[in-house]
Amino acid sequence: MTDAPATPPIAAARAAPPRAAAKLEGLWPYLGIGLAFAALPLSGDTYWGIIATRACVYWVLVSGLNLVVGFAGQIAIGWVALLTIGAYVTSVLTAGTAVPEISPYLALALSAVAGAVSGVIVGLPALRLRTFYFAMTTLGFATIVTQIALAWRTVTGGGVGVAGPVFPGWFSTPWGFYYLCLGLAALCTWMTANIAASRFGRALVAVRDAEVAAEAAGISKRALLVTVFLFSGAVAGIAGGLFASLQSYITPDAFTFDLSVLFFISILIGGRGSILGPLLGTILLTVLPEIAAPLVAWSTFLYAALLLLIVLLMPGGIAELIDYKNRRPLSRHRELAPRPELLGRILKDHARPGTLSLNGIVVTFGGVRAVDGLDLEIRPGEVHGLIGPNGSGKTTTLNVVSGYNAPDLGTVRLGEAVLPPGMTHLRAARRIARTFQTPRLIGAASVLENVMIGGTIDGRGSFAESVLALPRHWRTEAVLREAAMRALSAVGLEQLAAVRADRLQHSELRFLEIARALMLRPAFLLLDEPAAGLSAEEIRRLATLIVAITRQGTGVLLVEHHADLIFDICDRITVLNLGTILAAGTPAEIRSHRDVVNAYLGA
Amino acid sequence: MIESIVAYGLAMGAIYALIGITYNVMFSASRVFSFTAGVLGMLGGVFGALFIRNLGMPVLLGLVLTLACGAAIGIVTEIVTVRPVLKSIEQHLYVLSTLAFALLIQQFTAIEWSTEPQPFPRLLDIGPGWFDQQFWLPVLACAATIVGLELLYRRTLVGRAFLAIAEDSYAARALGLPEQRLRMASYGLAGAIGVLAGFAGGEVLLAFFANAPMLNFYGFVPVALGGMGSNRGAVIGGFALGLFQQAANFLVGGIFASVAVFAVFIVVLLARPEGLAGAAGARRV
Amino acid sequence: MPISAPEPLLEIAGLSAGYGKIGVLRGIDLTLGAGEAVTLLGPNGAGKTTLLRAISGLLPWSGRIRFAGRDLAGATPRDTVRAGLVHVIEGHRVFTQLTVMDNLLLAGYGLTRRELALRAEEALSFFPEIAAKRLDRAGSLSGGQQQMLAVAQGLVRRPLLLMLDEPSAGLSPVLVDRVLAVAARLREAGTAVLLVEQLIEKSLAFADRVYALARGSIVLQAGTGELDLPNRLEHAYFGQNVSAPLAT
Repeated sequence: MTDAPATPPIAAARAAPPRAAAKLEGLWPYLGIGLAFAALPLSGDTYWGIIATRACVYWVLVSGLNLVVGFAGQIAIGWVALLTIGAYVTSVLTAGTAVPEISPYLALALSAVAGAVSGVIVGLPALRLRTFYFAMTTLGFATIVTQIALAWRTVTGGGVGVAGPVFPGWFSTPWGFYYLCLGLAALCTWMTANIAASRFGRALVAVRDAEVAAEAAGISKRALLVTVFLFSGAVAGIAGGLFASLQSYITPDAFTFDLSVLFFISILIGGRGSILGPLLGTILLTVLPEIAAPLVAWSTFLYAALLLLIVLLMPGGIAELIDYKNRRPLSRHRELAPRPELLGRILKDHARPGTLSLNGIVVTFGGVRAVDGLDLEIRPGEVHGLIGPNGSGKTTTLNVVSGYNAPDLGTVRLGEAVLPPGMTHLRAARRIARTFQTPRLIGAASVLENVMIGGTIDGRGSFAESVLALPRHWRTEAVLREAAMRALSAVGLEQLAAVRADRLQHSELRFLEIARALMLRPAFLLLDEPAAGLSAEEIRRLATLIVAITRQGTGVLLVEHHADLIFDICDRITVLNLGTILAAGTPAEIRSHRDVVNAYLGA
Repeated sequence: MIESIVAYGLAMGAIYALIGITYNVMFSASRVFSFTAGVLGMLGGVFGALFIRNLGMPVLLGLVLTLACGAAIGIVTEIVTVRPVLKSIEQHLYVLSTLAFALLIQQFTAIEWSTEPQPFPRLLDIGPGWFDQQFWLPVLACAATIVGLELLYRRTLVGRAFLAIAEDSYAARALGLPEQRLRMASYGLAGAIGVLAGFAGGEVLLAFFANAPMLNFYGFVPVALGGMGSNRGAVIGGFALGLFQQAANFLVGGIFASVAVFAVFIVVLLARPEGLAGAAGARRV
Repeated sequence: MPISAPEPLLEIAGLSAGYGKIGVLRGIDLTLGAGEAVTLLGPNGAGKTTLLRAISGLLPWSGRIRFAGRDLAGATPRDTVRAGLVHVIEGHRVFTQLTVMDNLLLAGYGLTRRELALRAEEALSFFPEIAAKRLDRAGSLSGGQQQMLAVAQGLVRRPLLLMLDEPSAGLSPVLVDRVLAVAARLREAGTAVLLVEQLIEKSLAFADRVYALARGSIVLQAGTGELDLPNRLEHAYFGQNVSAPLAT
């Protein structure tokens, strides 16, 4: 079959709104808030000026913490520790008591560095510990930092405290300082919005909501989280310096647990995975206690009450509230119409590393041999079916190939190269892609974003380039977006590109996973029971799609229960029973193989 | 001074152990770690002071009332913060709902009771000196709790139902056990144990709202190190922590003692995320 | 013997069930009379376990289920157990930290102490192998013994209908026969049995009627005495006839 000419599907252009308009649409709220804040000095109200300055300083910290809590999903409740560190570093360096005095700007930069390092220290346990444990360790860090500030009298002034930095020139006036903070807040908004719209932002959310799928797409959780902690810590450090200047004098008890709570809750009230939501949340929580005097004492109580309400009633927060686009009803009678002819464009130039072979694979789980001496070969351009009764070891085999389980014995080879066992996130680079028995997707992200995640490792451009929205960031985004739309069109989901993934039906989610896998331009595609829950017609379309994929030279390993599908499209079939091969051959041979029939019928 | 370290160490250790048991009982019933454990401990002291000192009730009545209030708060915790979240797909939310609820209680106490630590009444008249009641009352309470729980688990059907749900809640449900009611009862029990910790330790801790986060953390350490769900681990860990903390206090001073405790905590957790005792009970595939 | 046909003990009509968005069962119709032994066969992934879970209330479902004259809409496992419908789940999941006796007592949670002791002994009488081990921890039992304990748990309630989910899984043929013998004894005493199994021969030998489930719907129902049953089952499982040439 020859490659179809690469005409972009017209439907795709209609489905996704024109880029420029979408951007403007997203900018309105930020412009509005920015203008309101910029115009505040005109009112001459210095009291509200201080409140607004405080909101800006808090937002500088929260914008970074947002990436940790809202995007990466880490429950970092003790982030005030970094504010403390930043405040003290800046103050001590500008006070000139412990060390020679330096410029406030340099001090601010150094507190960014201190914050970054501390961010990694506070955050690293997240890689090993489960949620609640990690939350506790961050609390512990916050306590320790305060204790150290109290104890290290010679440097920090102990309980007496130290004077905050004063920025020179116009910035030493209240309104001047206000604009400094506002400017930095705007900068942080821009930077974090850039990250959110980059493959790093998507990767963070993937690690949060679909870690297994993120691994399979080649995303390294460790590298990603460390980067985010560095960035987050740095801005928190800067916020600390600004905070110290705002307070003009800091003591350890300025850094209360209540502040940590405020930061954390702003993000959750705002909604995870959003920039605008937490921004509004921060402003709301900073302003709320100031509206009426008695509210000040009850402020933390109010924050906690708001948090409880949000968690119970609207876990999506403010962001969900204002997401009117995703409340537009979807057409009920949607039909999946895959277009296999587009696969040529998607899969052209994909890697051809040879045959995928398993030799002598043995996997034991607590004394039980799930797989007992398995040899298997998946050839390029072939559909290889893997079937067998429950407990036969099919899924374990697929997990071994995809690196999820490390075999006790045996090797997995790609061509001549041996694949390192148990290293899931390295498989993507080898162009081995997979789908999952239960679709692993990010419900809160759009269909398009979910597919784009599949191509993360092919993105060019570093984190820093994305933060600063340099040209390579835009180019990579455009390339990924185009490739994703093509993959969506191939599986027939382009109409739903902008829709939140959790609004899709089960069958659509299955095809979405395939589109995501196609982003890797895989040499080998591993499908884990893709037909489960599909109607007869959908299975037919799935079959056509799989066959078309193999026509492009990709090898497919199909683990299935569904006899029809298996016998229909497989070139070769291997039957497993109790971890060993019962039979292997062409569909015709298997179908009439007495042992196979008996194993299935359990005689 | 050895006596000081031992006396304070055992007393604090017993309190930490009881909070750890509170965590465990809630965890066994729901697979959820609740931030309310420390708050319950704090309330034990506050209720004790409120009922006995401020309202002048006899000690025994004050104790019974405190336990009842603790159980009630435990049950409310289950209904408001755990049950709704267990039904949803996003399991992580329980951290947030229990945190929010704990903060609500803590802040309310700070505002309505006092922001300063208030004195706790003398319950009996034994002491002063190293055998003062403030030191051995917590230990007594801890021992009584352990014995009581053993009796509950071994001798009553309800206790065995708790163990069943802790091991395999799906099988328990399929068997027809009233899972929801049992979970509520577990949380009520946990509530009572939590306030008992604060009540028995009232003289050492005083009635102070800021005890809540402190107990939250130090009560969690024994659980983290001893293995979640393991009461034995919580008790050993609790006493070890209490003694270690007092020794560190004495040797390097209060501030570095906290740093020391925390450092040990982090290091052990990073080395063995499942705790020193390992996971409690064989998990079924 | 009543002249008119009595209302079936279990009547299912148009049942659909699944896990979240994944629909597994579609439009299931099934009936079972008092004291009847019915076996439910089918390949993996067909939805057999899902069906049992829906009936006993472990999963939400839509459609209609009537048991012993009652509508089971919204019933929890606790409700169904008390109505006389007991589900012995797959995987011989007993409480390993508790004794055999405790496991049985828990199965009768809510009954009076005396009644409970009586029933537990009664259940043990079906399985002398584990009666001897009544004070041992369930975790010390072999897999086969645990399966027997799981079935014994089901008997404590003296159910009208006992549903067994793949009791043969992981068991040696001798033990499978033991379990099925107990099921036959129950059947004789008037308990209806719904047996989900992978082993066709033994199931057909045990039951009066058979349903075959494939791809979420009933593809075959017959009496176990009917001719050509194995062939028809194969056809139902694989969706094609054995000797027919493969479609290209």
